Amino acid sequence: MSDENHNDHGTDRDVVEIPETIELPRLLDFYELQDEANTEIHEFYDNLRDGQLTTTQCRDCGDLQFPPRIVCPECQSDDLEYVDLPHEGTLFAFSTLRAGAPIGMEDDVPFVVGVVDIGDVRLSARIDDAEYDDLEIGDPVQLKIVDIDGPTDQERVFYRFEPAEQ
Amino acid sequence: MTRNVGIVGGGHAKWGVREASYKDLIQEAGKATFDDVPDVGPKDIEGLFVGSVQPERFAFQTHVAPMVAELLGVDVDSMIARTELACASGQAALRYAWLAIASGQLDTALVLGVEKMNLPREHMAETQASMTNVMDREFDGVNGLNAPPYFAMIAQRHMHEYDTTREQMARVSAKNKSHAAHNEFAHYQKEISVDDVVDSFELSPPLCLYDCSGVTDGAAGLILMSEEKAREVTDEAAWITGSGQACMASNSINNLPSMSAWPQATTAAEQAYEQAGIDDPLAELDVAEVHDCFTISEIIEYEDLGWVEKGEGGQFIEDGRSELDGDIGVNPRGGLLGCGHPLGATGVSQALEIFNQFRGTVEDERQVPDPETGLIHNLSGSASVHSVMTLARGRPQ
Repeated sequence: MSDENHNDHGTDRDVVEIPETIELPRLLDFYELQDEANTEIHEFYDNLRDGQLTTTQCRDCGDLQFPPRIVCPECQSDDLEYVDLPHEGTLFAFSTLRAGAPIGMEDDVPFVVGVVDIGDVRLSARIDDAEYDDLEIGDPVQLKIVDIDGPTDQERVFYRFEPAEQ
Repeated sequence: MTRNVGIVGGGHAKWGVREASYKDLIQEAGKATFDDVPDVGPKDIEGLFVGSVQPERFAFQTHVAPMVAELLGVDVDSMIARTELACASGQAALRYAWLAIASGQLDTALVLGVEKMNLPREHMAETQASMTNVMDREFDGVNGLNAPPYFAMIAQRHMHEYDTTREQMARVSAKNKSHAAHNEFAHYQKEISVDDVVDSFELSPPLCLYDCSGVTDGAAGLILMSEEKAREVTDEAAWITGSGQACMASNSINNLPSMSAWPQATTAAEQAYEQAGIDDPLAELDVAEVHDCFTISEIIEYEDLGWVEKGEGGQFIEDGRSELDGDIGVNPRGGLLGCGHPLGATGVSQALEIFNQFRGTVEDERQVPDPETGLIHNLSGSASVHSVMTLARGRPQ
């Protein structure tokens, strides 16, 4: 089209351009912004970045929380401390996703996701380096910490698990 | 409650992968609803309650209750709101409408549930992203824990603890999808066998594709009236006799009470049974629409709604006790497995099915014999919340 005022249909209508693609925006990023400017549980992420999985425990009533909190849901105290969680646990349940992944995870399919008991905490996690057919309830698993790359400039981390070395 | 409240009519849009917009679905269901009750029009509606879960993501639209009012010509002069309770949003809307009428705030309400879930195929990962975040996005959703693997783990634990079998779960889907084959608005229109379920794509083992409800566009509406007003327009209604809900300070994995039992369902059901004066639910209920988002869900619901001992849900379906001519006809509509699960519309559609069963307007192939009492049940999110409502054909005293 030589005349830039013309659109693809050859009419004189103005063209409103919208982007063909949009980079993964914050609203579709599953990972929290982990720094002090964005979350009051940044210490959880600081600890994880340093290699230790932790959670909060109430200094007043002893309640152990997961996910970490800033207020105890049992007694409403805000006097909570970070305590270490073990890095070995057992597989309570697991499955795998073979289609229909959420945005940003399509290339991971198939992946194993499970529920892991570590100490007195039960959490969901990705189980890396594992095939569904090779796993059983009660299998030992160990923590691995992964770096998250994009879409922010922040240095972010998260926890996953993998079968424990026997 | 001070006043009796009845469902006097309702209607559906066609459900499925629809070549229609969110607003189209609303208008189709609204027309079907008003067409069903000729003596009630949009100007008679005083309160409007809209069940819809994620229009912000699926339809890029918010403030949807006034949009429904505008599209359907409803002049609200008492109460208007959208309810969001994930998969139970439709029943939540119905519950609030019931409460508003029962408490005397208004006499006539429209409940409309709607969800547009199918985006062009290249954007379906966005739909899945939204579905993944019904638990704590920061600690559960982030692991890609959307509904199929989550309910697969529920199935795995129930099989592990109670010896529930692969075939028992498949029977739920074969039953419900075969009902849907005779339901004109349902998404899935084909009778299937137990073998068809077991042989379908193993999406999230032990669950296969046919163990899972579909991604469905749909809408449904109901008109509720106080007993006094209802008498002016109809001789027939489904009377709401009880309604309960429970959530045990939990939504994320660590805080759920169990992964093989839903005590919240028991609590919610006990509330509804007590209000309805039901002592023996299995003997006293004739028809039920329960939340079969996955086959394992219906099996756990037989147990935790108090119909059979814990762990015997698999045997309950194997013995045919939830068939149309069994102890209780479960999911004659086709359930979520057969009708699909347009989130905000499901609870609304379930209640309409109970009314249609009472008045005998459903297809003969899926009519429960002469039902007088019914129940609807929804779970939501990680099954952290359960909602139960009981209905009766005869006016409560």
